[in-house]
Amino acid sequence: MAGIDSAAINGIARAGGLFGAAARAQYTAMAQLRWSIFSHSLRSSKGALELGARTVANLLYAALGLAIGLGAGAGSYLIASNNAWEYVPIVFWAMCFLWQMVPIMLASFQEQFDLGILLRFPVLFGSYFLLYVVSGLVDISTILGGLCSLGILVGVTLARPGLFGWTLLGLALFAAFNILLVRAIFAWIDRWLAQRRTREILGAIFMVMILSVQLLNPALHQRRHGGRNGQPVPRQSVEQQTEELKARYAPWLHTANQVQSWLPPGLAARALRQAATGNQPGEQSGNGAVPALGSLIVLGIYTLAAGGALAARLRSEYRGENLGQAPSRKKVGRRESGWLPNAAGPIAGVIEKELRSLLRTMPVLYALGMPVVLVFFFAAMFHSRTSSHDFHPQMQIALPIGVAYALLGFTQLFYNNLGAEGAGIQLYFLSPTPIRSVMLAKNLFHSVLFLFDAAVAGVIVSFRIGVPTTEVIAATAAWLLFALPSNLAVGNIFSITMPYRVNPGRMARQRGSQANALLSLLVQLGILGTGVAVFLLCTLAQALWPAVPIFMALAAGAVFAWLRALGNIDAMANQRRDSLMATLMKMG
Amino acid sequence: METAAIQTHGLTRRFGALTAVEDVTLSVAPGQFFGFLGPNGAGKSTTIKMLTGLLEPSAGTIEILGQPFGASALELKRQIGVVPEGMALMGRLTAPEYLRFVGRMYGLDGATTNRRTDELLDFMQLSNESRKLVVDFSHGMQKKLAMAAAVIHGPKVLFLDEPFEGVDAIAAGMLKAMLTGMINRGATIFLTTHVLEIVERLCSHVAIISKGRLVANGSLEELRAGVASTLPGTEQEQRLTLEEIFLSIVGADGSQEPAQELTWLA
Repeated sequence: MAGIDSAAINGIARAGGLFGAAARAQYTAMAQLRWSIFSHSLRSSKGALELGARTVANLLYAALGLAIGLGAGAGSYLIASNNAWEYVPIVFWAMCFLWQMVPIMLASFQEQFDLGILLRFPVLFGSYFLLYVVSGLVDISTILGGLCSLGILVGVTLARPGLFGWTLLGLALFAAFNILLVRAIFAWIDRWLAQRRTREILGAIFMVMILSVQLLNPALHQRRHGGRNGQPVPRQSVEQQTEELKARYAPWLHTANQVQSWLPPGLAARALRQAATGNQPGEQSGNGAVPALGSLIVLGIYTLAAGGALAARLRSEYRGENLGQAPSRKKVGRRESGWLPNAAGPIAGVIEKELRSLLRTMPVLYALGMPVVLVFFFAAMFHSRTSSHDFHPQMQIALPIGVAYALLGFTQLFYNNLGAEGAGIQLYFLSPTPIRSVMLAKNLFHSVLFLFDAAVAGVIVSFRIGVPTTEVIAATAAWLLFALPSNLAVGNIFSITMPYRVNPGRMARQRGSQANALLSLLVQLGILGTGVAVFLLCTLAQALWPAVPIFMALAAGAVFAWLRALGNIDAMANQRRDSLMATLMKMG
Repeated sequence: METAAIQTHGLTRRFGALTAVEDVTLSVAPGQFFGFLGPNGAGKSTTIKMLTGLLEPSAGTIEILGQPFGASALELKRQIGVVPEGMALMGRLTAPEYLRFVGRMYGLDGATTNRRTDELLDFMQLSNESRKLVVDFSHGMQKKLAMAAAVIHGPKVLFLDEPFEGVDAIAAGMLKAMLTGMINRGATIFLTTHVLEIVERLCSHVAIISKGRLVANGSLEELRAGVASTLPGTEQEQRLTLEEIFLSIVGADGSQEPAQELTWLA
């Protein structure tokens, strides 16, 4: 009887192990697949445009990486040559932050290949794991982190040639830890986002985090601004207060320093410092080798743990777990609670659908909330440069900067507003509702979200730095009236002409569009640049009020462009409906 | 003469050098259950996409309920329901939310949408899954939801692209009953499927497309008679199944016969 000989199939895969002939043939097939996908993408003009955009983007990333690498190298050289090893943890923590945060910030801008397709083939788990890790080596964060590591290696070696081996070893381990950790984080977040319960928990944690940061704000503000009435205190008092704060929090800082020294960036830094103290010129070499080796072993354990976390997740996938079939709660009631007004009409329908989808989509919530959190931290940095009662004229720009930064979080929503529709895009073409109404509803919803974000950013800036003058508020509001419709107008056009599919429940394994990302960035820079130029000219003229009519005039043009784009959107969408649906519905 | 529910003249679609559908002219009378058959890649889905406004024809005209139809014929779209190839679902909504959304998109008032949503969920046996996101549905459940969405606005013409694919036997029976009921109440249904038994049981008229061209069109009896006339013996006519008719017409070039036996297969 003919049957499935699973032992024979597994035998084929196991023959020769991880680097045997069968496995090598699979790696080659995988490489050929990537090459075929790439070469086929060049058949269309869109693919060629994508390649051009990707080249430009990679050049920009390379320039950024070189700058970071040079900075890290110079810093390491100074630290090593001055024996200022207490500052090394800062370098490693910065590198770790860069390595872990960049992939999240650029998740929608870089193409990531879903290796899950391999699981239908007789692939060894080791091969799957290896390919998963190796495919992560070509992402932007690894390139930036690699250049940063290279800079540190060169900087330390130039200053202290005897530390080359230790530095290389420490950096290699630290790099392996970061690569495995970032992959593990993405894999686990995707897993959690696939389940309703964990998705809700993650959402709640995220909201609590955002609220906590917001609540910290007035508390710190009160601390910084003195007494109960919030009256500014003299500069001398602030300096004295700062010293008092330092004294009060010194034990906390000491504990924090102790804790960080047992975490991976701290361990890598500690190993280097320990090796350096045993490698002083004139001293007997090897005094610090044992403690340095100990630190590296602990770092190695962390690396193994990160690898283990990743392996645990991948093994579940390997065993056939389907994220789409993750268990969800059984029926409780027939209808969802009607907490949203049941307004009639397609525009209300699209807005409600967008809101419900957004609330179930952690990565998008994160993208929208993160700029506001960062505005808080930037505001704190601004604030620390001066005392509160000295509200310098140049600090007036904090409000427009904060609002502009909040705008960046909406890039993907504005410029690829159909990306998350998937097969649902068909409904817009099948229904009697014009695409114009759909776009209008999306624009309205996104505008309200952005205005909320901008308002929060404005409140943060006002609390942390001080309430700006009426002129600044008016000019910022006028700039917003220009910036928002400009973004919406171009965003609607890009959403039709350069869409890319977004899986809203996933942070990793997205397929972005470099052309859309690059061009939308250029438009954003143009809008920001216009704002900066007008602000600058008016500031130089020592009169900010003319900025208001200038921005209002620009806003009139932007609103006209938005209405014009909206008016033509049906014709544009109908003309491109085939490629639009093919792009947004394509598999893999 | 009665106005056709669906009428095409010289419908053609080209993708670069490839002509996917060529010069298709057909007419579907109101109240007809029309089966549109063809082998893989014959042009069925391309035709149905053009008929529903998802794809622009390269040439030819389409009339639905006697009016010219295109992507911008918004009022006419209210009369049409579609289960497209991709099902047009929105994964981040629950089934009731999705149906209410579709109801709004078709201009139904809130009360009607809510009432029909509840009735359709009950009918499709999806009420127990009302908190589950569509993305977590099985393929069969998604098909049932897509079917519910296609009929929520009470269309006069229904286009179905492989509606029974992945649907269990019980649900398929319910869907067939629903479709038959629609036909009895005067609706027109245009169905593409690979399940020939369903077409044989439900459809009064059948068209077969092969390599982009319409190669047969008529009632089942007409097709049966046409094919039987080419076969020796008049008694053959009574015994011909739709599968035999289909293979006889589409396999006329002999392509149904494998070129060689794959002896290495177990």
